Amino acid sequence: MRNLAGYLIRRTGWMLLTLWIVYTVSFILMRSVPGNPFSSERTVPAAIERQLRARYNLDATPTRQYIDYALGIVTRGDLGWSLRLEDYSVNQVLAEGFPVSASLAIFGLVFAVGLGIPAGVISAVYRGSLADVSMMAAAVLGIAVPNFVLASLAILLFVFGLAWFPAAGWGTFNQIVLPALCLGAPVAAYIARLTRAGMLEVLTREHVRTARAKGLSDQAVILKHVLPGAMLPVVSYLGPATAGVLTGSLVLEKIFALPGMGSHFINAALQRDYTLAMGMVLTYTVILFVMNSIVDISYAVIDPRVKLQ
Amino acid sequence: MSPEARKAFLTIAAVCVVAALGWASLFDSLPPAEFSLQSGSDVKTLDPARATGNIEGRILFEIFEGLLKKMPEGDPDPVNGLQAMTPQPGMAESYEVSNDNRRYTFKLRDGVRWTDGTPVTSYDFAWSWQRVLHPATASEYAFHLHAIPFAKAYNEGVVEVGDRVEVELWDRPGETPTGRGTHQNFPRGTILYGTLREIRKPPEPTAEQKKANPDAESEWTEQWLYVVDVAKLDQDGQVDWDGPTERQTFSANLQSPLADETTQRSHGVLVAFDKLGGLETPDPRTLIVNLTDPIPYFPNLVAFYTLFPVHRPTVEKYGSPMFTKAENIVTNGPFKLQLRRLRDRVRLVKNEDYYDADKVSLKSVDFLSMEGENTALNMYETGQLDWVTMPPETVREVLKDREDFYTAPQLSVYFYRLNVARPPLDNVLVRRAIAMAIDRVEIVEEVTKTGQIPATTIVPPGFAGYESAKGFEPNVARARELLAEAGYPGGRGIPRLTILYNTSEGHRSIAEVVQQQLQNNLNIAVELQNMEWGSFLDKVQQTDYQVARAGWIADYPDPNTFLDMWVTGGPQNNTNWSNAEFDKLIAEAARETDPQERMKILQRAEQIWVDELPAIPMYFYTSINIVKPYVRGFAPTAQDVHPLQLLSIDPSRR
Repeated sequence: MRNLAGYLIRRTGWMLLTLWIVYTVSFILMRSVPGNPFSSERTVPAAIERQLRARYNLDATPTRQYIDYALGIVTRGDLGWSLRLEDYSVNQVLAEGFPVSASLAIFGLVFAVGLGIPAGVISAVYRGSLADVSMMAAAVLGIAVPNFVLASLAILLFVFGLAWFPAAGWGTFNQIVLPALCLGAPVAAYIARLTRAGMLEVLTREHVRTARAKGLSDQAVILKHVLPGAMLPVVSYLGPATAGVLTGSLVLEKIFALPGMGSHFINAALQRDYTLAMGMVLTYTVILFVMNSIVDISYAVIDPRVKLQ
Repeated sequence: MSPEARKAFLTIAAVCVVAALGWASLFDSLPPAEFSLQSGSDVKTLDPARATGNIEGRILFEIFEGLLKKMPEGDPDPVNGLQAMTPQPGMAESYEVSNDNRRYTFKLRDGVRWTDGTPVTSYDFAWSWQRVLHPATASEYAFHLHAIPFAKAYNEGVVEVGDRVEVELWDRPGETPTGRGTHQNFPRGTILYGTLREIRKPPEPTAEQKKANPDAESEWTEQWLYVVDVAKLDQDGQVDWDGPTERQTFSANLQSPLADETTQRSHGVLVAFDKLGGLETPDPRTLIVNLTDPIPYFPNLVAFYTLFPVHRPTVEKYGSPMFTKAENIVTNGPFKLQLRRLRDRVRLVKNEDYYDADKVSLKSVDFLSMEGENTALNMYETGQLDWVTMPPETVREVLKDREDFYTAPQLSVYFYRLNVARPPLDNVLVRRAIAMAIDRVEIVEEVTKTGQIPATTIVPPGFAGYESAKGFEPNVARARELLAEAGYPGGRGIPRLTILYNTSEGHRSIAEVVQQQLQNNLNIAVELQNMEWGSFLDKVQQTDYQVARAGWIADYPDPNTFLDMWVTGGPQNNTNWSNAEFDKLIAEAARETDPQERMKILQRAEQIWVDELPAIPMYFYTSINIVKPYVRGFAPTAQDVHPLQLLSIDPSRR
């Protein structure tokens, strides 16, 4: 337990350092791109643009802005007002979008794990069978087909063909099924392949042979002695997968008109919404760090040989 | 780690997953609205003073209402099916115009109320319009009010010695005498009125200082000291300009070398707009507007959302933009805001206290935010949407013949700006040759495909009483002659041209056709360059381009909106083009009181534009809407406005 606490403290330290670097780099990059948050097809009169800059503290020197904005984040947790979604502060945008992205990610991941692990186990156990070949072929397809193609096919089949689910929108369980499936499918495919590979490796180990020699049933051998060992690569993949599912939903958000935060990521950058872009970048940094730390910890739990350091 | 700890960890993980699933399955389900439409991307703001753009407008027209509102007049045009929309009584039951078109008297309806139950008064309008004009509001459409005396100077913060001015002291709520200022310009600090006697300025920073410190200029202006003879107010709040005065000094920065201990800190010194008679409010139901220029389209501006009133107590209590939140906002339109969720929807419900509520049929309306055009069409086809405002370009041709497809010419034009400072485009013959060598019919029939009209002038057809100038005749043979006359026979020796456009499938297809036509017809080599929106705008505004794509939509239904942008140095000109005669005609048109004569002057100005061609017109846009056949009352209009209060649903066909 002591090394867990120490580990968490060290990780937090690294996270803060990373956040500071990310903050600095984003700050410089965003202000060096041409264009500014107030440009539009109609030229804004100079006097008005000056007032707008003052409102968002953009009239201060870059150093002053850098410090003021960082102070706001550190002391008040305030990421400022969005420059393009004027009626919203960045915190409000995140508060509205994050739960949606999170629910979508949860459903997507549960689906991916629920489908991927059994598929991988079956493939490994019945290696070379028709089931193995067809599932692994499906997995390769699942990884190769981009999710917007998958989404279009799913809409064609389940919305216009079978009429099981609504075309888009948010607010009911029915509306989350298709996006969650499309989001989870490539992850499921990866997990299936990792599980299969892990299983095949562990199945040849000595301790498995011993277990069988003891007369344990096939089921007991696979569930108790093979699966935990085979899970390690899957667990280490789940960290980046979670972050990927949270960020990678922006195409699906567009296709299924979901109010998640993925689309803000792109729009904020394109519209030079400095504050919102910064908020998104920092949020994702934190998510990535937290997910990777959780993975490291679960690694140590599953495999006694791994020590947290 | 002990096996027990491991087991406990696994149990905790399992519980977490179940809890997460449970949490994710909790939806605050919202029953679908009676009527849903595609709104496009999220609205930028619901503050009428700050809003720009069609998407914002569509919602603002429903939740707020101005003195006048745009409503159908007469029957749709039998030829193109266009429904004429004109400004008609809204919050005002009637209005009178003086003979010289310079004085409008609006009489408000009796008993019109805000959604919080308080009456809508003429004071609300005067205050809201002043808010639009206040420099710190930074309203992009504030120029709609510039015809009112002193409005432009107030809006731009210009004062001169001798002006009657207002001084806002540094005591807005939340401000300390020495601290930083707040950006909440309403409620305002204490206002003093008086006559500006002198502006004392410290030495201006040198060019080097300005270069070293970008803030030097603004720091310097903050140090200016204003000397004002402050006048007294009588009991009615009127300023006694000619009465006894007291000389006081003001500055935004008390550290200014010119300030002494009697100097008061102030936000700024502006022309005393609200005390100089531009707007008169003799009683709560009367608003008198005086104009410097007799602009005939003023009623149209009054019916536009920038001039809609906002609820003063709400703005002053919550500040901007917090007053626009669904839980705070107080409005006066046929619908009221119930819910606003980013990337999801804006839900409006019928305002039962609206004076014309009997005629409003829809009970609830969803404006669904969506970025994907295909998504909108999918939702429409499966019955989740009743009105698609932006059908995907790729399938428009397929949809064109359906009964639910509405298309109409729109008051907007697609054109290519030419940078007339760069050879060879500085030569008018070259500009004319290029314009004549482009086959617009091919563009509208093979590329855009939804009934766009080829343009050879800049003002679109459809303005009542205006006949467009005579456009040029596209003619390849003549174009070649012109090019030879300009010194490039057969296109020999002409430098290569670059067409700049913002990255988009549609713009690229058009640019490619133009590229090919200029190559084939005039032997001019053309390069295409696309840029992401922000960078593209930067290039255009710095006139750092040769040829650049552009579009313009009418701000108000008057040809002036397409012409006054081309005056010398105008903020939307961006072509380096300048013509003294043109500038003179535009200014003359603004002063002309006779509407017919005015249209003739504008036509003369347009003729100069066509002869000089600082830009190449391509086509006039069409608006496209797809609306379910069970929706009654939908008619195409030239400005693509469709008040929801006119729509109803025929249950027998749904």
